[in-house]
Amino acid sequence: MQQVVNGVFLGSIYALFAMGYTLVFGVLHQLNLAHQAVFMLGAFAGWFIGVTLGMPLWAAVIGAIAAGALLGLGIERVAFAPLRNRPDSHFAGLISSIALSIILVAVGLGVFGPDTVRFPPDAFPGGRLVVAGASISVLQLAILIVAVGLMLGLDWMVRSTRLGRAMRAIAENDRAARLLGVDVERVTMATYMLSSALGAAAGVLFALAFNSIRVEMGLGIELKGLAVIIVGGLGSVPGAMIGGILLGLVEVGTVAFIGSSWRDAIAFTLLFAVLLLRPQGLLGRVRVREV
Amino acid sequence: MSGGGTAGRAASLVVSDLHVAYGGVEAVRGVSLEVPAGSLVTLIGANGAGKSTTLAALSGLVRARGQILLDGTEISRWRSSRRVAEGLVQVPEGREVLATLTVEDNLRLGAWHQRDHLAAGLDGVFARFPILAERRELSAGSLSGGEQQMLAIARALLARPRVLLMDEPSMGLAPQIVDQVFAVIDAIRHEGTTVLLVEQNAHRALSAADTAYVMETGEIVMEGPAGELLANPRVVEAYLGELSA
Repeated sequence: MQQVVNGVFLGSIYALFAMGYTLVFGVLHQLNLAHQAVFMLGAFAGWFIGVTLGMPLWAAVIGAIAAGALLGLGIERVAFAPLRNRPDSHFAGLISSIALSIILVAVGLGVFGPDTVRFPPDAFPGGRLVVAGASISVLQLAILIVAVGLMLGLDWMVRSTRLGRAMRAIAENDRAARLLGVDVERVTMATYMLSSALGAAAGVLFALAFNSIRVEMGLGIELKGLAVIIVGGLGSVPGAMIGGILLGLVEVGTVAFIGSSWRDAIAFTLLFAVLLLRPQGLLGRVRVREV
Repeated sequence: MSGGGTAGRAASLVVSDLHVAYGGVEAVRGVSLEVPAGSLVTLIGANGAGKSTTLAALSGLVRARGQILLDGTEISRWRSSRRVAEGLVQVPEGREVLATLTVEDNLRLGAWHQRDHLAAGLDGVFARFPILAERRELSAGSLSGGEQQMLAIARALLARPRVLLMDEPSMGLAPQIVDQVFAVIDAIRHEGTTVLLVEQNAHRALSAADTAYVMETGEIVMEGPAGELLANPRVVEAYLGELSA
């Protein structure tokens, strides 16, 4: 039971990160590989607000999310918008987002330095709860609630709001959306802002969970995030949610029962196993692409 | 049954010297046309003549040179969304309903710029197209071709058009449904919405319209009262051949 709790906890952060990827991919069919830099800068933003400015942790989390949203707007404007009318815009955007990611990591290194930084131990709320035989700290519980709340909030937003409806319209046919009067440029910017807000939220929650923040922290999660959205079904928000939690469970289970050196091998083997059985991902739809 | 309360809002559309080029090829070459407020004007021509490209330029989907006046206001540099907000609305070729969204979601998107009129607009289109009320929770992709065309028209009406651009609304539909579509177009026009209709079904279009333009290889080659073109031997030979045969 303890491992399940740990797995869900870790997986909820993966899921949050992956949902940012899948939102942009699902709506705009673009892969934003600067997402891992957003994760890292979100963690540093939270640390800066919480430690350097001495503000409370909730303010650090909200500030990091806001910083992530602004960063997302910048990524869209710099790495994707100028390429939009090119016939190879998807591939060009992929490359330019890698370039921007490298720049952002270098900026992070310049500003925050190469060392690992941490929150002081007394920054965290104390106390543990025991639920069904599993122990969970108040901090972990708070992180889990925030992560799940953000995921459910995003899912609701996409399903039920005006912005969500516009996103789904653009995802299917951006020309039709334009003819209906949807301001596709603004919805595109909003999509990147939301996506990066989630990426930064994942970063700051990860930082709080493991109390370790360094410039390379995004690299480790980048591939996991991509694996999660492939397992979940590209562009599927609930798929990313389920895929992320599944990956967390598999990783924690492997460490507990097999050994930590097997963690990534088992996780990615399962990725291939899922894809063999369900090539479109758990919640992905089989699409016939019109040429 | 106004379907969005468009009465009395009709605007005029005046296009002068419109050019659209794809790469090095000019698909639309110096098109000028006038659509007086409240009238039904049709643009006919063979496949590939540039009719749909002209409408795409009017909606701001493709880059174009030339002047576009909506009720006297120059709009050629406006983005698509602003053109729709100001009442220049298109029912596109092939309907382009959002198949994965529900009928109601499609309709709500139609009212993107008309949130204050959404409830009244929905009542209006459900009264006009009762089948859409029955199907409102279903995905638009599950509708028949005729139902999808009705949805595409209803969605455009929710945008409260002052000028409605219709691109091949009869395409691919059974004759009985085509009758229904033309009845709806006629009703929309008589409720006070200006209509610019692009059609390959020249006979139906000329019968319904006040004025007509004939387009060939990117240019307007003939224009005049629709009734006169219907009787013009050259038009009969080129576009109404199936009737004289």
